[in-house]
Amino acid sequence: METAQLTGTRPAEVVRTQGLHRLLVAAIVALLFAGGGFLLHSEAQGEVIALLAAFVAIFVFAERLSAGRRAIALCRAHPGTVNLAAAVSVLAIAAVLREEHYTLLMMATVALFATAAAGLTLQMAFAGVPNFAGAGFFAIGAYVPAVLGGTGIPHLVVLLIAGCAAALLGLAILLPVLRTRGHYAALVTIAFGLLLRSFLEVNDVLGGPQGMKVPAFSLFGLSFARITEIGPYDVSFYLPYALAGCALFALAFFVVRRLETSFVGLAFDAVRSDEVAASVFGLSIARWKATAFLIGNAMIGVAGALYGMMNGFVNPNSANFGDSLIMLSILVLGGFGNLWGAVVASVVILVIPEKLQAIQEYRLVIFALLVIAILRFRPSGLMPRATRDLSALAMGGQR
Amino acid sequence: MMRNRNILRLCSAVLAAVSLAGAPAFARDTVKIAFIGPLTGGNSATGLGGRNSASLAVDLHNANPASKYTYELVPFDDECKPNVGVQVATKAASDKSIIAGITHYCSAVAIATVDTYNRFGLPVVVWGAVLPEITYGNDYPEIHRVNGTMINEGKMAAEFLTKQGFKTFVVIHDTTDYGKGQNKYFAENLKPQGGDILATFAVPPDQQDFTAELTKVKELKPDVVFIGGLTPLGVRVRSQMDRLGIPAQLAGVSGIMSAGFLDGAGAAAEGTISFHNGAPLTRYAGGKAFMDAYAKAGYREDPDAYGPFAFSAANLIMDAIDKVGPDRKKVRAQLNGTKGYQALVGEINFDDHRQNIVSANVYVAQDGKWVYWPDSAYAAGAKKLPGK
Repeated sequence: METAQLTGTRPAEVVRTQGLHRLLVAAIVALLFAGGGFLLHSEAQGEVIALLAAFVAIFVFAERLSAGRRAIALCRAHPGTVNLAAAVSVLAIAAVLREEHYTLLMMATVALFATAAAGLTLQMAFAGVPNFAGAGFFAIGAYVPAVLGGTGIPHLVVLLIAGCAAALLGLAILLPVLRTRGHYAALVTIAFGLLLRSFLEVNDVLGGPQGMKVPAFSLFGLSFARITEIGPYDVSFYLPYALAGCALFALAFFVVRRLETSFVGLAFDAVRSDEVAASVFGLSIARWKATAFLIGNAMIGVAGALYGMMNGFVNPNSANFGDSLIMLSILVLGGFGNLWGAVVASVVILVIPEKLQAIQEYRLVIFALLVIAILRFRPSGLMPRATRDLSALAMGGQR
Repeated sequence: MMRNRNILRLCSAVLAAVSLAGAPAFARDTVKIAFIGPLTGGNSATGLGGRNSASLAVDLHNANPASKYTYELVPFDDECKPNVGVQVATKAASDKSIIAGITHYCSAVAIATVDTYNRFGLPVVVWGAVLPEITYGNDYPEIHRVNGTMINEGKMAAEFLTKQGFKTFVVIHDTTDYGKGQNKYFAENLKPQGGDILATFAVPPDQQDFTAELTKVKELKPDVVFIGGLTPLGVRVRSQMDRLGIPAQLAGVSGIMSAGFLDGAGAAAEGTISFHNGAPLTRYAGGKAFMDAYAKAGYREDPDAYGPFAFSAANLIMDAIDKVGPDRKKVRAQLNGTKGYQALVGEINFDDHRQNIVSANVYVAQDGKWVYWPDSAYAAGAKKLPGK
C-alpha cells in the first residue's frame, strides 16, 4: 500500500522539482546575461568597476561555496535550458539596446570572435591541432566578400564560399601540420600566417597593403547597412549584425556540441590525448586531425567574412600574429574546450580594454594585470571543460 | 584574494583620479570633443604627443574668458589598428554629446574610419595621417585634414632636388602603403621637372642587406638615391652605401627625418636631405608660446612631429563651435568653409576636398641635427652636398 503510494507520488514530485530546477537555471543564466549586457552598455566607470567586481566574486566563490557548486551542477544537468535561456536573454538584450550603435557593434564583435573561437576549440582543444594563424583565416574570410560582394552572388552563399576558401587555403599547410607535432606544427601555422600577410601585402589585385572595402551584408536583397527601423521601432544598423553574429555563434555552438557528444568528439579526444594508443585502436590520426583542422578553419572563415562586412574594410594588417594570439588567449582564458567560456573570455578580451578607455595609455596595463590575475587564480581558464563522464556506460546502465 | 582586492582598489583609485581631473571649472556649458590616436603600441610616442597637444589647446582655450563653452577632450586609443579604430570611431560618433573629433595618426586606421564618420555625421579633423585617399578618396563633407599629404612631400622633393641640379635618381622604397605611395607621388612629380629615374627597387620594410640593390646602383651612377620608407630602412641604406663607396646624394621622405636616423647612420648622415610638411616650431609665429606652454603644463612626452597639428586642429574645432554653437551640422559647415584661419602651423585653407593646402619643407642633416634648409650652412654655401 505504502510503496504504491510512494511510486504514485514520485513522478509528479520529480517533475515538479525538475521544473523548479529548470526555472532556477534559467534565472541564473538570465541574470548572468543581464549583467553582461549591462557591462557591454554601461559607460559610467563606477558601474563598470562594480560589475567587474561582481563577476570576479562570482568566479571566485562559485566553486568555494556549496550553493555555488550546486548551481554549477544544476546548470550542467540542464544544458538545454541553459541554451534556451541564453538565446532568449540575447534577444531580450538586443531588443532593449536596439538603438545603441556602439553596444551592438561590440555585441556582434564578441559573437563573431566567439564563433572563431569555436572553430579553434575544435582544432586545438578537441583534436589537439595547433593553429597560430587564426587571424589569418579570419582575414581570408573577410577578403572573400571584398572580392565577391559586388558580383551579385547572394551574400549567404558568399559566407559559405568564405568558409570553403578558408578551409581550402588551410589545405595548403595540412600536410606539414599532419607530419609535425607540438611546437613544430605550431611553427608551421605561424609561418603560414606570416606568408599570408606578405602575400596580401604585395598582391595589388587584393588591394595591396591598403586593403579593400567590403560591401555591407545583405540578406535577400535587404542591405544591413540601410536598416534603420523595424516596424514601429528605430533601430541601429548594427542590430541585424548583432543578431546575425549571435545566430552564427548559435550555429557554431550547435555543430561543435553535436560533434563533441558524438563518436567524432570521442575520436578527437582520443587522438589528442594519445596518438599511439588511438592508432592502436584503429583510429586514423591523419583523418581526424584533418577533419578538425578543415571544419575549424571554415568556421573561422565564415565568422571573418561577416566581421569584414560589418566593419566594411579589410587589410593585410588584420592577419597579423598579434591578432591570432588574441584569439588564442580567448580560448585559454575561457577554458580550453568550453564554448561558454569562450563567450565570457571574448567579453573580457574585447570589451574590457574598451571600457578602460578613460585611463588612456594605462588601460592595457590594467587589462594585462586582470588577465594575469585570472590565470593565476583559475589556471585552467574561467570555465574549464567538464571531464567526459562515461562511468554510467562502464557500469552497464544508461546515462 | 588579498592581492586581488588590492589590484581592484588600485584600479578604482586610478579611475577616480582620472575622472576628477576632467571636472569643469566654470558655469559655462560643457562641450565634448574627441581625440583619437595611437596611445599604446609602437606609434604611441606620436599619439601621446598629439593627445597632450590637443589637451593643451583645450586647457588654454578654457582659460580664455572669451570662450563661450567649457570644452572637454575625450581621448580614445585606436592602437593603430583599423578594426579597433572603427570601434572607437563608432563609440565617439554615436555619442551625441561629442560634437567633433580630432582623429588618427595612422593612415590605415584613418582610411578605415571615414565611412563611420560620414554615416554618423561627426565632423572630424585628421591631425596626422598622410595618405591622400583619406580626403581625396571620397567626397565626405565630415572629413577635414590640417596636415599635408604625401603628394605635397613628393612634389616638394621632386622640385627641390631638380632645382639643386640633380638629374638622375634611383628610388628604394618599402612595400607598405606608405613606401609605395611616396614612390608614386615622387615619380609622378619628377617627370615634368625633367628628372630621370634610372631604377626603382621595392624592398620589404625589414630587409637587412642591400648589397644586391646597391651594387646595381653603383653601376648606374645616379646623382641621388631617394628613400621612400622609415628610419630603419634609411639607416641601413645610408651605411651600406658608404661601405660600397657610392658617392650619390641621399634624400628621403619624412619617414627618415628622425633622431634615430642621425644616431643610426652616424657621421654618414651628414648632408642627407629630407622633406616634412611641418616647419620647425621656431618658424611659426606662435611656436615659442606653444613650446613654453607645453613645457609649463608638465607633460611627460614630447609633442613630437604632429603635436602642433593636433593643437591646431583642436583650436580650429573649438573656434568653429564658439562661432556656431555645439551642433554637428553647423560645425561641419563652418569647418568646410575654413579659409585663411590663423593656426599654430600657419594659415589653414581647405580645398574642395577639405584638405589643408600646405607645402612641404626641406631639411638637411647638419652636424648631427636636422636643420631647416634655409637656415643651413648648405643653403648659405658654406658646405657642399655630398652628391655635388
